[in-house]
Amino acid sequence: MKALIKFFSSVKLAIFLIIIIALASLVGALVPQERSPDEYFARYGQLAHFFQIIQFTRLYQSWWFLSLLFLLALNIIVCTLNRLSPKLRRAFRPRLEIEAKEINALRIKEKLKKDMALAKAKQGLKREFSLRHYRLKEEERENKVFLLARKKVLGLFGSDIVHLGLLIILAGGIASGLAGFKENLTFREGEVLDIPKAEFKLRLDKFQIEYYPNGRIKDWKSTLTVIENEKPTLSKVIEVNHPLSYKEFVFYQSSYDWDWTNVSLEVWARKKNDSSFLKTIEAKVGESINLEENIRIALSQFIPDFIIDEKNEVTSRSLQPNNPAAFIEGWEENRKIFSGWIFARFPDFSRIHSEEEMNFSFELKNFTAGQFSVIQAASDPGVNFIWLGCGLVMTGLFLAFYWPSREVRVILEESQKQTEFLAGGTAAKSREALEFEFKEIMGSIRRMT
Amino acid sequence: MIESTLFFVTFIIYIISALFYFSFLFSKRQSLAAVGFRVAFLGLSIHTVALVMRTFESGHAPFTNMYESLSFLSWASMLAYVLIEAKYKIQKAGPYFMLIVIALMALASSPLMPKDTSPLVPALQSYWLWLHVSVTLLGEAFFAVAFITSIMYLVVAAKEKRDSGEKSGLSAEKLDSISYRSIAVGFPLFTLGGLVFGMIWAYKAWGSYWTWDPKETMSFITWLVFALYLHTRIVFGWKGRRSAYVAVIGFLTAIFTYFGVNYLLAGLHSYA
Repeated sequence: MKALIKFFSSVKLAIFLIIIIALASLVGALVPQERSPDEYFARYGQLAHFFQIIQFTRLYQSWWFLSLLFLLALNIIVCTLNRLSPKLRRAFRPRLEIEAKEINALRIKEKLKKDMALAKAKQGLKREFSLRHYRLKEEERENKVFLLARKKVLGLFGSDIVHLGLLIILAGGIASGLAGFKENLTFREGEVLDIPKAEFKLRLDKFQIEYYPNGRIKDWKSTLTVIENEKPTLSKVIEVNHPLSYKEFVFYQSSYDWDWTNVSLEVWARKKNDSSFLKTIEAKVGESINLEENIRIALSQFIPDFIIDEKNEVTSRSLQPNNPAAFIEGWEENRKIFSGWIFARFPDFSRIHSEEEMNFSFELKNFTAGQFSVIQAASDPGVNFIWLGCGLVMTGLFLAFYWPSREVRVILEESQKQTEFLAGGTAAKSREALEFEFKEIMGSIRRMT
Repeated sequence: MIESTLFFVTFIIYIISALFYFSFLFSKRQSLAAVGFRVAFLGLSIHTVALVMRTFESGHAPFTNMYESLSFLSWASMLAYVLIEAKYKIQKAGPYFMLIVIALMALASSPLMPKDTSPLVPALQSYWLWLHVSVTLLGEAFFAVAFITSIMYLVVAAKEKRDSGEKSGLSAEKLDSISYRSIAVGFPLFTLGGLVFGMIWAYKAWGSYWTWDPKETMSFITWLVFALYLHTRIVFGWKGRRSAYVAVIGFLTAIFTYFGVNYLLAGLHSYA
């Protein structure tokens, strides 16, 4: 046990672990994480299998990476506790009576004699320190006074507070990893969905996409209503960067999706022998509409991203409307007279096949599809630890770098109506600044009458 | 329009400042360094106006694409240098540091970086954009100062050793201490802007504060390298050469985080 504590109290171990963790993280940044086995094989060939065995492909969740973090945490705990108790003693129960040689060993020191009584010398000295916001402790022995003047004592604990913050962040990370939950919910307008693991439901009242003038997406906005015990309790419009928090859950506007099962089309029909003829057909996919007295046109299929694959079959390359296309059919009584694809982006590419001479041409002018709002539901019990930890880390860094503790010790000794001052100072950082202050104080003592 | 003119003027002024600093380096006339500093300060002021104009022209924070971000990083580096020089009088670092600023400005003005303003994608519409990016880049600017003073340390220390301890104007010891002081400013800023603000924003926009996205991971590694710098220095008492190497590695990691990730590794941070 002792050997173990000794092992973990070494800063060398910390340095070693930091280097290993940095290198491991680098591997994780260079090897894409959590992809399909096929992708890894394409990237790394024979190495792919090896990478998967040593978990390079899900490195940050791997047992060995987590063990490294765990070892570092243990290391931080042992190191910090080791240093903490002497520091606490120094801060709260400092030894006041010290030997002259201890002061003489300091870098900043001075010795001088004044023709005055001990009590008066002490009073003058204390005033000088108080003027500079030092806090004082003293102890008297016969003809001696030991004075300890300090300020910004909290600065001593900067690094400990940083370390405590880091441990709390790690604890938060563990809590998030074990008990956090995240799921995408796909809503249609008006739809009510159960929230997994929650005792309430969520309704999407309205979903809006806002565009910039150049057509790029500006924002997605979903009006959500929380329904608890069949009663609406809270409504909020959420958008990216402005989620809805309710109980332990947070709902984020994550993205949107097209509902390609519910599409309406606008098709323009023209006649080749009559340029004044223009008919606008507006209908849902699957419906048919009369074009002329005995000719019906059916909008039988819609594809958002038209492509012909290697098997020579029509398919959609993606779920985004990159190349919207509609398949239309013309019917005269029960006889199909023409059919073919028309393209919204490429009107000239329309391919209408017909047995006879075609008198019509068609253009796919517009389409509207229903949209899903994709909302991410998440609950993360670790997150408050994270914010607490971050706060402590920042406080600790500030204290460590910009709140340098200073300590000045003085031994006053009276002999033959003279008082001898032996003073020395220590500073955690910015020794020059303390030196300057120290000289000022000693200068005032010298001038004291 | 005004912004691009001001940017160009700033670029020219930085070059003039560098010329003064370099002639100081060769002629050893102190007054030339003082002129270099004033010219750099003038450039910084015009650059500030340029960034403000950019904000008004685009309607959002001036660091949403590579051009804006490089321009802001050169501004932050110039600011960091001006502050450090004013406080510690390290004119000799001026010429070398100006090279970094000019390199960043040159990269920003390269035709590879589109200059037009474009509206923000939904994820970037947040005041955290201001806090996260500006504080992080300011932190990295102080790492850049430490990088230059550390490299100068390595050169000057070797020279002092050769000339058996004879010290010229800017001693190796002072360079070492300025490297440390720059990191003492840069490290808290980088921690606050890059990691803490980054986590808060990620939580608000993406629903999780940490996803091991390549940019996050590289920032974490940068943070570890500087943590290493501080621990070896404060606990082991490393100083001088070894500390300088760690500071150089730290800055290179930060630069890779800034550039490399965008061009080499895909991830959530691939905006612009």
